[in-house]
Amino acid sequence: MKTLIKRSLALSLLIVGAVLIVVGLVAGILPAAAQGGETPPLPKRPMHPVFPLLDQDGTNVLTSGLPVSTMTTCGSCHDTTFIASHSFHADVGLSSYGKPAAADKGGHAWDLSLGTFGRWDPVTYRRLSPVDDRTPDLTTAEWLMTLGTRHVGGGPATTSRNGTPLTALKPDILTVETGIVDAKTGTLGVWDWAASGVAEMNCFVCHTANPNNAARIEALQNGQFGWAASATLINTGLIKKDGTGYVWDQDAFDLEGRPARETIGIQDPSSANCGACHGTVHTDAQRPLILDPFDPAAWSTYTTGQIVSPQRINLSALNLAGKNALTRSWDVHAERVVACVDCHYSLNNPVYYREGADKPAHLTFDPRRTDFGEYLYRPLHQFAKGQSVQSPLAPELDNTLRRCESCHSTQTTHNWLPYKDRHFAQVACETCHIPKVYAPALAAIDWTVLDKSGEPVRTYRGVEGNIPSTDALITGYTPAMLPRQNPDGTTAFAPHNLIAAWYWVAGDPAVPVPIRDLKAVYLDGDGDGYAAEVLAAFDADKDGDLSRTELYIDTPEKQAVIAKRLEGRGLSNPRIVAETSAYSINHGVARGEWANRDCRTCHAEDSRLVAPLALSDRTPGGVDPALPVAAKGTGTLIRDDKGTLFYQTNTAADGLYIFGRDSSGVVDVIGPMILLATLFGVTVHGGLRYFAARRRTPHEPELKRVYMYSIYERQWHWLQTAVIFGLIFTGMVIHKPATFGVFSFPFVVEVHNILAVILVINAALAAFYHLASGEIRQFLPKPYGFFNDAIVQAKYYLWGIFRGQEHPFEKTRQRKLNPLQQATYFMLLNVLLPAQVITGLLMMFAQQWAETALVLGGLPILAPLHTLIAWSLSAFIVGHVYLTTTGHTVTSNIQAMITGWDEVEVHSAPQAGQD
Amino acid sequence: MKSSRYIWLIGLGVTMIIIALPIILFTRPEVSRAASPWDYVPSKSAHVDHTALIKGPFTTGQDVTKTCLTCHEDAAHDVQMTAHFKWEGEPVQLPGHDQPVAIGKKNLLNNFCIGVQSNWTGCTKCHAGYGWSDANYDFTAQENVDCLVCHDQSRTYAKGKSGNPADGVDLVVAARSVARPTRENCGSCHFNGGGGNAVKHGDLDESMYYPPADLDVHMGRLNFQCVDCHRTTDHQVGGRAISVSVDNKNQIACTDCHKGEAIHPDARLNKHLDAVACQTCHIPTTAGGKYATKIEWDWSTAGQDLPEDVHEYLKIKGSFVYERNIPPTYAWFNGTLADRYLLGDPIDPNQITVLNPLAGSRNDPNSKIWPFKVHDAKQPYDTVYNYLLQPQTVGNYWVNFNWDLALRAGAEATGLKYSGQYGFAQTRMYWPQSHMVRPAEQALQCTDCHGENGRMDWAALGYPGDPMTWGGR
Repeated sequence: MKTLIKRSLALSLLIVGAVLIVVGLVAGILPAAAQGGETPPLPKRPMHPVFPLLDQDGTNVLTSGLPVSTMTTCGSCHDTTFIASHSFHADVGLSSYGKPAAADKGGHAWDLSLGTFGRWDPVTYRRLSPVDDRTPDLTTAEWLMTLGTRHVGGGPATTSRNGTPLTALKPDILTVETGIVDAKTGTLGVWDWAASGVAEMNCFVCHTANPNNAARIEALQNGQFGWAASATLINTGLIKKDGTGYVWDQDAFDLEGRPARETIGIQDPSSANCGACHGTVHTDAQRPLILDPFDPAAWSTYTTGQIVSPQRINLSALNLAGKNALTRSWDVHAERVVACVDCHYSLNNPVYYREGADKPAHLTFDPRRTDFGEYLYRPLHQFAKGQSVQSPLAPELDNTLRRCESCHSTQTTHNWLPYKDRHFAQVACETCHIPKVYAPALAAIDWTVLDKSGEPVRTYRGVEGNIPSTDALITGYTPAMLPRQNPDGTTAFAPHNLIAAWYWVAGDPAVPVPIRDLKAVYLDGDGDGYAAEVLAAFDADKDGDLSRTELYIDTPEKQAVIAKRLEGRGLSNPRIVAETSAYSINHGVARGEWANRDCRTCHAEDSRLVAPLALSDRTPGGVDPALPVAAKGTGTLIRDDKGTLFYQTNTAADGLYIFGRDSSGVVDVIGPMILLATLFGVTVHGGLRYFAARRRTPHEPELKRVYMYSIYERQWHWLQTAVIFGLIFTGMVIHKPATFGVFSFPFVVEVHNILAVILVINAALAAFYHLASGEIRQFLPKPYGFFNDAIVQAKYYLWGIFRGQEHPFEKTRQRKLNPLQQATYFMLLNVLLPAQVITGLLMMFAQQWAETALVLGGLPILAPLHTLIAWSLSAFIVGHVYLTTTGHTVTSNIQAMITGWDEVEVHSAPQAGQD
Repeated sequence: MKSSRYIWLIGLGVTMIIIALPIILFTRPEVSRAASPWDYVPSKSAHVDHTALIKGPFTTGQDVTKTCLTCHEDAAHDVQMTAHFKWEGEPVQLPGHDQPVAIGKKNLLNNFCIGVQSNWTGCTKCHAGYGWSDANYDFTAQENVDCLVCHDQSRTYAKGKSGNPADGVDLVVAARSVARPTRENCGSCHFNGGGGNAVKHGDLDESMYYPPADLDVHMGRLNFQCVDCHRTTDHQVGGRAISVSVDNKNQIACTDCHKGEAIHPDARLNKHLDAVACQTCHIPTTAGGKYATKIEWDWSTAGQDLPEDVHEYLKIKGSFVYERNIPPTYAWFNGTLADRYLLGDPIDPNQITVLNPLAGSRNDPNSKIWPFKVHDAKQPYDTVYNYLLQPQTVGNYWVNFNWDLALRAGAEATGLKYSGQYGFAQTRMYWPQSHMVRPAEQALQCTDCHGENGRMDWAALGYPGDPMTWGGR
């Protein structure tokens, strides 16, 4: 028994010991491994699980050979029905069909919705036809083939206008939804949705690393809508184009008929994905950017010239003027690895989700978020957006975007900028941070004429020659400033491009003339040249071809020719209308050191805020385009002597007063008149005195030396003088900064403010002194006999002084001021100076006390008033200095104000009115 | 009230002060600029024309040096204390060795021409001295110092075997032309390291004689000479090369001139200064000039009668790979080496032996990410004793093409035992890039390292992921 126990004890000890050793080893090795070794590398493969590609019946595409259905395939894990029905990218206006934008929001009478599906845009010109359209232009099918190439699928690409799926529509009832217009005859033919398929919301174009957008567009343009999503995958090798059809490549799939993770490469959208439809996005900073700036497919670049790329402009391959000096990146956010989706995030993305304003006041942060799994199941494809004037789509989502100030601190920066809050309120960040756009943009499009290839005449800005050309020198352009509504209701000026468009409308209600009618009118039947009648009317040099200058309806005769031909096509009352659209510019932001820092860019006569933007050098039909209504354009159209049409912003109409630029015409005339009149007056008076004195026998009066002015009086007087001179001078610089270019505008503004404060303090202390010491009595005219005394004094100045008479009132310590002086100072100290101080204070604190300033009319009233008083004070100084020469010598009064001692004439008789 | 004749002056003064003081106090100051780097560039002493001072004739280099020493009495002694003359540094302690060892070009192996011992007559062509042709060189003789190689400005001076002036060099002309060293002087040796132009460093080659402004902003745009950065006092040239030194003494840095916390106006860039060396962003590629640099050297293929091309294969040297515009290899580096391969140190022939392994890691606060040129080679080793061997190439392998004889002679010169069995082992060296600094407009941008198209291997640097999203160290 004992041996047994001993043995089991030994065994237990052995086991325990072994365990301890193992534990010790493990405890020793693991931390060592953790310290010595490094974190294992990140897996390079995409996270997304492997999945089969399914067609719309749920069968693997390898089996059926049918196109992949994103709704079914992706719908296996994600709620694709939810996604496709909650996305303005898919919807593009279908849900607002029948409720287009009002005219004051830029809508046309013939618009059908708020989005690309229904809203007519003069740049694309094609018009979606309503169901009852007599002269249909775009049917749904043709819309998909043309405008739908920039559409992601889903929405109107799968569903009809009243909500039924397109494939469920009865093909025997021929409507714009079940048919397609024959381009030649203009009649409606059948469109077989079952054969073409519908374009489901295409997940791959945004969510794969290298989608083949060109193949997708080709599929749509060929009417093979069902294959659009599949064609997007051509670059992965999973599918190949085979003649006119598409074939799935078995070898690219794994043994279970699924594409490998790396093959299909599902990812969250990169900026390059967005750029496929929205505009030029060039993410490879090492490869020089090459672009065709006139390609309408890169929509943002085409309409505004915006380019998003981290590459430095000087390293790109564009033929850009002054490129070598532009060492900044195209867009600083792209450079800083901020992607499109960092600002335009999915609205229920838990990472970016921003709380609404309606949470209880005591909560600063609500941590309750959508769970990641829920988000992945139902990612809301409603993306945060700002409000772009060019698209009223999804207005309920306006301003959900992270604006500049939600990431950038405006309080710790811009410390060099005086009145920064006022600037931020009046002027959008983009105004200074997008100083120039370095690519060409469309400026005008003339659809009243067509060239041989059926294209309108387009004019561009930012490129020499204004026409598309591969080797043209790109100069870039400075955008126009238009007011933009901020979310809090204030308006700020922000950069926009303007595109003017001229086009024919016909009928009542007016509808733009379909392009097939324009083609029939302008081109001859073979389609290789112009119609004979058109040539006869337009071909001025009779060379059988129409150059750009010839192709222009500049006379009523030419307009009549075309109108008649249009009537011949069955269109009634064809007429030319014109409009201007504004396009907001928010990308292509420059880093701070490239932003506009020169105050004189705006605070000058040629202020950038009101710089005219050229619209067009031609005005077809003599019709001036309507102003951009959607941008609340308060500007005007002006023409230069070459006939080029410009748009000029009118900042004053928005209540903006720009120091250094704006001024009141009235004040600019009256002010100098007052000063000049005073100068004239004193010159005449002084001249007369001089000549009178020469003719007179010199007469030495008896003089008395009186200590007239105390040291304090003299100090505050001369300080006031210096400060007022300084204020007038700095005021002149602020008023006309271009004339005084050598001074730094912001510095002068600050000096003006400082001098103003010194003036107010000085005046306040002096007022206290006068009140406390009783010296104020000097300034108060005595009530009785004041007018008599004043007249006596006036008579002295007008007559007696030339005769060498003594002053009517002896100047004593107790009574230094004659009645006229008292009257003048009374006006000055109680009316003019306080008015100047008050208007000045209201302007100086315009950013803190904005409402108070507005009550009194705001800067447009305060500033001219301030200027007028400044002129008056200048005139006063002239008069005042002159009148100091009326002492017993010309300089005796001034000397008295310096030394304090005055030599006054002793009066022989008691003075009239003296107490 | 006393009246004073100068009351107006006092009044004027008081008025001006009352106005000026608030303006000075309250107007926003100009953005304060960091001290200009120009404040720290060493000033040059005036040049003294030696034409009248030097009288020949000179038959040997040593004659010239003796003449120099008649006025510059301490110069030779100063030079003799430096690595340019000694080819050796102060003794350093290395792992695996009990005693500190004095190491340098004199007795170290590299993976280019491998080693100088027994090859002196060829290798000492780039020695700042005359006549080092064998192991018994007199390092103490002052006249053995070569003044002209660094100071000659006649462009006619060249060195030949054993470092003596080449035939046909007019020493008087050379001696009369002496001045502060220029890029021509330094470059005549340093651009041709490893046996030819652009072979060794990657950032030093003949394009640096007169580099274009967009290749090197200091030497190209601003015409800096080497010694403007490699400041020299008493002939001790500033700078430290990790090919032959292990510590950081006497080292120079960008911050010797570019001082301050806020070197860049961009705050985000300044946040990188802690972990990223200046060179990493400002030298985007190695061998960015006209010439490709050698990145691989396989000695094992030498000795065959194959078509020769100085960039591909030479019978005396083997086969090479040259490349230009190479994106650098990035690694943590704190300026010193973790170890240095010495003669006789054991190797594992199945691994790549790094001859100068870098010290530094992500966790070391003194380490930063530096750009390196990496040179890989296959060079001879003793398969029995498992250490690298140093062949005698000059006058031996390069004449007979017999490895055994060459290695035997080399082993004797280096004091190693040679078993008679040799093979070729893979080695690697790191060459930090500090020259060919591009202008600021060409520096790397954010997207060059961060984001999808970034060039950094975050895992290799020890990060769990891109520090932009994962955080730095």
